[in-house]
Amino acid sequence: MDTSQLLKGVLDLAVLAVLRKEDGYGYDVLRRLRQGGLDGVGDASVYGTLRRLYNAGLLTSYVVPSEEGPHRKYYSLNEPGRARLLESGKTWKSFAQALDDLLGEGA
Amino acid sequence: MNTQTNTEVQHYLDAMREALSDLPAAEVGEIMDDAGAHVVEVAEEMGDEFTLAALTDRLGTPQAYAQELRAAADYPAPAPAAPTSIQPMLVARFALWSLVAGTVMAFAFATSRGDGEGLTLLVGLVAAVGALLVFRQKGLLADISRLPETVALNEALQRAERSEPLRVFLTSLRAWQPAWWVGRALLIAGVGMLAYRVRSPIVLVLIVLAALSLLAGPKAKTDRRWLWISLPATGFAIGGLLLVLASMTSWLDYRPSSSPVSYTTSTRVPDNIYVFDKDGKPLTDVHLYDEDGQPLNTPWHGCNGSPFRDDNRFPRPQVVHDENGCREIPGVPPFTIVIPGAAPTVTTTPVTGQPSVTSTGQPSVTSTAPPPTQSVPPTAVVPTS
Repeated sequence: MDTSQLLKGVLDLAVLAVLRKEDGYGYDVLRRLRQGGLDGVGDASVYGTLRRLYNAGLLTSYVVPSEEGPHRKYYSLNEPGRARLLESGKTWKSFAQALDDLLGEGA
Repeated sequence: MNTQTNTEVQHYLDAMREALSDLPAAEVGEIMDDAGAHVVEVAEEMGDEFTLAALTDRLGTPQAYAQELRAAADYPAPAPAAPTSIQPMLVARFALWSLVAGTVMAFAFATSRGDGEGLTLLVGLVAAVGALLVFRQKGLLADISRLPETVALNEALQRAERSEPLRVFLTSLRAWQPAWWVGRALLIAGVGMLAYRVRSPIVLVLIVLAALSLLAGPKAKTDRRWLWISLPATGFAIGGLLLVLASMTSWLDYRPSSSPVSYTTSTRVPDNIYVFDKDGKPLTDVHLYDEDGQPLNTPWHGCNGSPFRDDNRFPRPQVVHDENGCREIPGVPPFTIVIPGAAPTVTTTPVTGQPSVTSTGQPSVTSTAPPPTQSVPPTAVVPTS
């Protein structure tokens, strides 16, 4: 997937959004994004985004031991993460609105 | 996941770790915990349809995966790879062969109950340096995996894993892995404590190895650097296991009833010895010595009042208990012998014991003459009563 700054910002927002209601591990987040219609998102991009959001202090993580297979690292949204989601959500909506208006009826 | 799949996934993860190796080790560990689990899960989902090609189709090459993850995570781009010089290959070779040597030496040390401590210490130090290099030097694992001997070994392993019976065997073994990790640690510590003095520094080293091996078992599945701990630990544990089994077998085989009679070299001197010369004439006051010049002393109890003797002078007086009490009869034989060409010697001693003939060599300490090559046995033994 193209990882320009714009799309990177969109992916941040998408990941924060899918973690808003429920914690999830990497593959979980990936599935939710795909179920939500973001089919083109690359696996590695999701994992990279999770690491970046975590390193930026927007997520916390904990490990859940698994009987079969490797242990899973779950990510959950913390307060700064929720604040970022709210703020980026507003930015995105106004941006999308502006783009809709530009495209008008022809798109 | 079968062994074949497991090996290929492992290779994929190794390559991925390598592509990220310029990042801080802690961060690489976090990524591998996370994305490594993802790769394993994707491979498991594929089930029987898993091939390395299918995995690469789905996720991209390990390098591409790492590159995409880097970009999304805003990690700095990797520094351009330095041209492969002779030196990294030398270091890689040293690390690989130090692992082989350490494993073999650990096995040999355990089976030999700790022989060759000096050599073991030397090889152990070399293996420890190898392990330290692998853990400290980024990219070394990838260099090692590129060595011709490693490539050949991997190919041989993969060929072996394609044979169905072996694959089934290895799969069943994998189910026992956690038990083996614990057993291995117990074996190392147990054999160490049994085979060496508790205060020996070797025991301390072995206990540390046991603890590390417990950690290395699960870690080595996703991080091959831990092989530098787990393989020597396995070598020692298997050696120790063989030692224990050998001890148990010899213990079980021990049957006092069926064991052959062992003739000890300690000389047991009979209660009395009668010596005759070539004419069949009994000799008295003979002093007996063994081949080392040690007197053949035996205790002798006479009647009450006689002093206790513990000397090598033969024959002893015979002690007779009858209605008249206790008597000591001077040491002359209670029988006669006939030697060819010699007149029989008659003694008039009452017989109290079984007639017996004892043929005894009589080496003398001071004599340098060779013993007779052929002793002439008496042709007849005639009790004198």
